[in-house]
Amino acid sequence: MEETLAPKQTGGLFHRVGLFFKPVPLLGYLLGFLACAIWEQSAGEGLTVLLGLPKMPVLFGLLTIFKVLAGIINFLIKGDAFNWATWVYIPAALVYLTVIYLLPLAIVARAVVKPANALARFLQRFPLIVTALVQLGLMYAVLHVWAEMSDYRLIFLKLTLIAVLFTLSLNIINGYMGEFSCSHPGFMAIGAYMSSLFTVGLFASDKVLGEAVFNVSTAYLTFPLALIFGGLMASMGALIVAIPSFKTRGDYLAIISLAFLFIVKSFFENMQALGGSRGISGQPDWATLPVIFITMALGIWTINNFVTSTMGKALNAVRDDESAAEAMTVNTRKTKMTAFLFGAFWAGVAGGLLAHVLRYVNPAMFSVQKLAEVLAMVYFGGLNSVYGSIVGAVSISLLGEALRPLEILKWIVIPLLLILVMIYRPTGLIAFKEFDVRQVFGPKEVE
Amino acid sequence: MRKLSIGLVFSLVAVMAFTFAAVDAGAADTVKLGFNIPLTGDNPDVGASSKNAAEMYLKKHPTVDVGGKSYALKFVFDDNEYKAESAVKVSTKLITEEGVLGIIGPQSSSQAVPAGEVANNYATPMISPWSTNPNTTLDRPYVFRGCFLDPFQGPVAADFATDELGAKKAAVLYDIAADYPKGLAEFFKEAFEGIHGPGSVVAFESFTTGDKDFSAQMTNIMMSGADVLFTPQYYSEVPLIVRAAKEMGWTKPILGSDSWGGGDLMGLCGDDCKGYYFSTHYAAAGAKGDTKAFIDEYTAAYGKTPDDVAALTWDSLGLMVQAIKDTGKLSGDIKADRTKVKDALASIKNYPGITGAMTFTADGDPKKCAVVVKINDEGKFEFFKSVCPK
Repeated sequence: MEETLAPKQTGGLFHRVGLFFKPVPLLGYLLGFLACAIWEQSAGEGLTVLLGLPKMPVLFGLLTIFKVLAGIINFLIKGDAFNWATWVYIPAALVYLTVIYLLPLAIVARAVVKPANALARFLQRFPLIVTALVQLGLMYAVLHVWAEMSDYRLIFLKLTLIAVLFTLSLNIINGYMGEFSCSHPGFMAIGAYMSSLFTVGLFASDKVLGEAVFNVSTAYLTFPLALIFGGLMASMGALIVAIPSFKTRGDYLAIISLAFLFIVKSFFENMQALGGSRGISGQPDWATLPVIFITMALGIWTINNFVTSTMGKALNAVRDDESAAEAMTVNTRKTKMTAFLFGAFWAGVAGGLLAHVLRYVNPAMFSVQKLAEVLAMVYFGGLNSVYGSIVGAVSISLLGEALRPLEILKWIVIPLLLILVMIYRPTGLIAFKEFDVRQVFGPKEVE
Repeated sequence: MRKLSIGLVFSLVAVMAFTFAAVDAGAADTVKLGFNIPLTGDNPDVGASSKNAAEMYLKKHPTVDVGGKSYALKFVFDDNEYKAESAVKVSTKLITEEGVLGIIGPQSSSQAVPAGEVANNYATPMISPWSTNPNTTLDRPYVFRGCFLDPFQGPVAADFATDELGAKKAAVLYDIAADYPKGLAEFFKEAFEGIHGPGSVVAFESFTTGDKDFSAQMTNIMMSGADVLFTPQYYSEVPLIVRAAKEMGWTKPILGSDSWGGGDLMGLCGDDCKGYYFSTHYAAAGAKGDTKAFIDEYTAAYGKTPDDVAALTWDSLGLMVQAIKDTGKLSGDIKADRTKVKDALASIKNYPGITGAMTFTADGDPKKCAVVVKINDEGKFEFFKSVCPK
């Protein structure tokens, strides 16, 4: 009797917590996060001093905790000196996390259920774009306030948002179409180089690309053009992979696409007009947080529309059985071609953003290491799902930062986590889940 | 519920008690320096050498006296994974979160160029010990480097080939896909043709990273009738090139660059490399004074001869600490202090480093002498000649 009860009870706690937060719409969480960010801005510094932490925790205290853990591990393995008084930073960081984030988030999110649901219901009467804009605006406000606290957060956030876009663009091919493509860093490289060529070549003076052609103070308004140019050029490059994909599948396509990656890398290494292996630096500082956020939102929006359209269903049909899809009048050639060009376009845009965040680009950045990173993000987060790409990119980026003090152990912990995910959830954390924008932004109805 | 609240109160009390202990530990006056180095990734040896040199420095000089006040030195090592993105993140973190006074590293140009941008934007002095790309320090007053540049090393090799080896015609074999060999090969060609007239570099042959067979290039070089072969390649490639040359019957001298010294050249090359020359930052065999002391201590501590990275990191660190001393007084306002350190760095004259005396030019590049070493019959790198900039 008791044995049957025990699992139910633990399930009960999660279930109860889940039930407690069930009526909270996205709007409620956003308001909760905004409250956290503002609360941190006013009380974070004081609480840090009160808890005796040396510096305000930047990434939810994770960095502080793992730094102390790395100290303990080094003490155990190598016998390095370790200041035992610092272990107290771990509970202090947890208290900080609870007081600044968890409690206010829970309280505010639960407290605003009624008004938030009412607002969401009210917004739903307007076209979808209105409610989306309102909620995305709120989301940007949260990120802006949060990133304002530290420039390290800002650069972390920028690179993470770019990683989300890049991961999602690979998910179109590897997840929705079910091919194993290794060429994505190549597309990113083309996008990065071509958009740099556009901005540095036209609007900045540089040793490699010469004097600025135009000297306009409002030149940053052309940045979208630069990104689109980079994306289109990446799409052109994708033709080289898309055409052989008509005849080959699986491992063979993986090899062709891997070859493409190497071709792109050697092309830029040998292209002296583009700086060769020294690369191009001095990109104008145009990739600010709002620019990246808007581009990412636009990317997610169009990719989601694409994969839920008839074309997206055709992609899934090609993935499940190509001959059956062909028999059911799916034009597999057109489908594959579109998926490759579309995926490459957004990878190119992500590359353009990356080049302008780092303000430097060289061929070595787009190596097999980059490929491993983005594949890990796609498969960790989950195939065939927008949620999965977001979760994968954010969690791998966050883990990569948090575990940095562990040095070489980091490369044991992250792959181990990947293996565990592959054992228990072979398709990734959140796979095959439809991202219904109307439902995400809408109110939560609880009976 | 009651158990929970009791537990909560107890843990809070414990946290409070430790908090005061922790506050005490961090209260002393410290000078924090950050290291942005590749501890993992494609090139962990570079990071390990830098970290070894830094830890040895800290053991030897645990404090720094500034204007009569003693500060404890504290180093923060952070891993950039040999990636540009990570180098940018690490530099931002060291500056904004750790609050370091200055940064040593990144070592390689592909990380040092973007990280230098960050350091310059946040007005934090940074010294890259090993980066040779001109863009690292170009138009960045806060960024310095610890090594001489290829436009200097190229002419050193060309002059040496002319004066000491009596060469009138030269051949060059280099990797076109790698930043460093390509740049140096071009500077050598320019300098050599400047002395002997256009066309005196009779063979300018290239290959691509990872190539193992050099017979096609060596055939051309043999046919060209060159008096000397210049190959600015890494220690892993040099043995293959040297053996290919010997198989073709090449008996004339081979000249290399500082990349020959970074790694286990003699272990891979054996007797084949003996008798050849290369230009570098310092000569380990026959070193005197501080350089010898450094080499002996390093060898005793880590069981291997320090490579260029270790020696240059040591010197960069020495320069940074010297600049901190030269400020005369630290105000405690980190932003003002960083600018003071930058100004002090720029005005250092003839700093006695183990890789030679150093003075920074207005660009943040050091003016220092190069050394030409000969690989002697015991396989040691023996001092042959020192060449200083005019």
